[in-house]
Amino acid sequence: MSEAAATTPLQPAVTVENFSKVFKGTLSRKPVLAVRELSFNVQAGEVYGLIGPNGCGKSTTMKAMLGLLKPTLGKATIFGRDSESVASRQDVGFLPENPYFYKHLTGRETLHFYGKLCGLRGSELKDRMATMLDLVGLKNAADRRVGGYSKGMLQRIGLAQAMIQDPRLLILDEPTAGVDPAGSRRIRDLIIELKERGITIVVTSHLLEQMQEVCDRVGIMSQGRMVREGRLEDLISVENQTEIILENASAETLSKIRELVGQDAAAKLVSLGKPRTTLERLFLESTIQTGEGE
Amino acid sequence: MSAVPLTIHPYSSFSLSRVWTLATNTVTQLLRMRILWFLLVFSLIAVGAGFAFPAMSPEQQLKLLKDVAFGALQIFSIVVAIAATALLLPRDLEDRTLYTILSKPVPRYEYLFGKLLGVLLLIGGGLLVMDVIFSGVVWLKQSFIIADQIAALEHEQQASPENVAAVKAIISKYGLTISLHAGVWAVFLKAAVISALALLISCFASSTLFTIVITFGFTIAGHGQQLARDWFLHKHLTAGWEKGLSAIIAVVCPDLGAFDLVEPAIRGDVISSAALLSVTGLAALYIVGYTTVAYLFFVEKEL
Ligand SMILES: Nc1ncnc2c1ncn2[C@@H]1O[C@H](COP(=O)(O)OP(=O)(O)O)[C@@H](O)[C@H]1O
Ligand SMILES: [Mg+2]
Repeated sequence: MSEAAATTPLQPAVTVENFSKVFKGTLSRKPVLAVRELSFNVQAGEVYGLIGPNGCGKSTTMKAMLGLLKPTLGKATIFGRDSESVASRQDVGFLPENPYFYKHLTGRETLHFYGKLCGLRGSELKDRMATMLDLVGLKNAADRRVGGYSKGMLQRIGLAQAMIQDPRLLILDEPTAGVDPAGSRRIRDLIIELKERGITIVVTSHLLEQMQEVCDRVGIMSQGRMVREGRLEDLISVENQTEIILENASAETLSKIRELVGQDAAAKLVSLGKPRTTLERLFLESTIQTGEGE
Repeated sequence: MSAVPLTIHPYSSFSLSRVWTLATNTVTQLLRMRILWFLLVFSLIAVGAGFAFPAMSPEQQLKLLKDVAFGALQIFSIVVAIAATALLLPRDLEDRTLYTILSKPVPRYEYLFGKLLGVLLLIGGGLLVMDVIFSGVVWLKQSFIIADQIAALEHEQQASPENVAAVKAIISKYGLTISLHAGVWAVFLKAAVISALALLISCFASSTLFTIVITFGFTIAGHGQQLARDWFLHKHLTAGWEKGLSAIIAVVCPDLGAFDLVEPAIRGDVISSAALLSVTGLAALYIVGYTTVAYLFFVEKEL
């Protein structure tokens, strides 16, 4: 395809330029300025996290990137194409917040439906469906109606649906919301796996710890504005501190270290104690994970 | 992701395959909602009506049978047209299935077109099945009546070939004729126009109930429209602006009376192909018009 050839590595996967969105008021509702003058780029191959409190405009921004709503001002592009053009959607997969699918279809039929909409056919589509069901771990539930799926399964069929045409960009809105820790970790692992395969991902979540594990760069939004943006490492490292974690250190060694620190006039011991495991890790270690099928 | 890249056909701004996918999905959805139980009930009514009222004259028996069956056909098609169409769009919006569909390379007009086509396929298929059952029942009834009458003639020793032929001719005129199928086609056209109207209304209405109530209102008004226009306009006034007004009413509210080929079909009149062609054209005009306006609303819709 000529469009693919035109995509140089330097071309950003996503650009959002000066995007503002006002939701028009009605008789009973005041107009809402949901997003104001938002600009950011996502480079190809990057995992970009949009974080911020509820109602700060994350979902609105994602919908504009998919042409589901029109920007009041500004614009967005996907691999160089205006996101209002239908053709730009060939390169994107979208998992909306709390996704629902046709209840009357089975998981397999759902993937078939979306695959056909993307122009896939025949045995290629069948193979792709099988690969996707495998990837998201829904092989055993593939022939059950989606109406009976749990929240985590809905998110996973949603992810499979988003990836059905093998897009270069995935837009995931709260992919782990309402999913139990095991399911949530599974989705996180999947994101890491996709990133390793070179897929660009834009993701929102309010689970900051998880975002920290997957994102290359993050943008922090507040009340419709971008308040901080940058490489995750730069944003969260505390420049003037150093962390040492020792194993099997004797009391003697510890007191020596303390002594050394005392000799340095500028240095100060901020904390010393046992590192804690995270609650998530504890939860995962102590509960039994049933795996796929649920 | 796969080692071999997928063959994705380049995007074209209209794809019959996408429309077909949307349409067949709509049919599956409606079928799995058991909407066709109606069909069974109405077919039973038709069969039941076929063998009730044996005390009447043969012509009346056949006419009544057709009256009841056409009534059933009309109710089935209008109920499905309104309820099915009104369920589709608002539900996709509420469930946010629309997000995932429109975030695939699917233009909004294809989505609307696919949904409408799905409803029309369902109504068309349903009417076809009912037409077959209905024709079968009328034919059976007609054969019984003819056999009865010939037996009666023989009993009176008057079964000359001319008399038998005359009985056959008279009863057949009230029995199964080609115009019966033309009548069913007209029922389909009317339902198609109502579906397009329901689709248009559901594009700016936010709820299923609202769509159903308003479309139902328009359907009633549409049946009485001819009367209203005659009474208001032609009777008292004849100026040019009244004709304009009359035309505007006809555009906003479909003139459903125009599709009533059922009466002549029941009477056994021959429906000319010119008349059939003209109602088909009228229906196509309404459908294209309503769908275009529906699209204009839908393309602006913020999801
Ligand atoms: N369709 C809409 N009509 C009116 N206001 C809306 C609409 N969608 C979102 N909003 C408002 O826009 C703001 C941003 O919403 P959203 O983008 O969903 O936030 P987030 O995803 O960050 O939680 C909120 O104040 C929300 O109430
Ligand atoms: Mg949101």
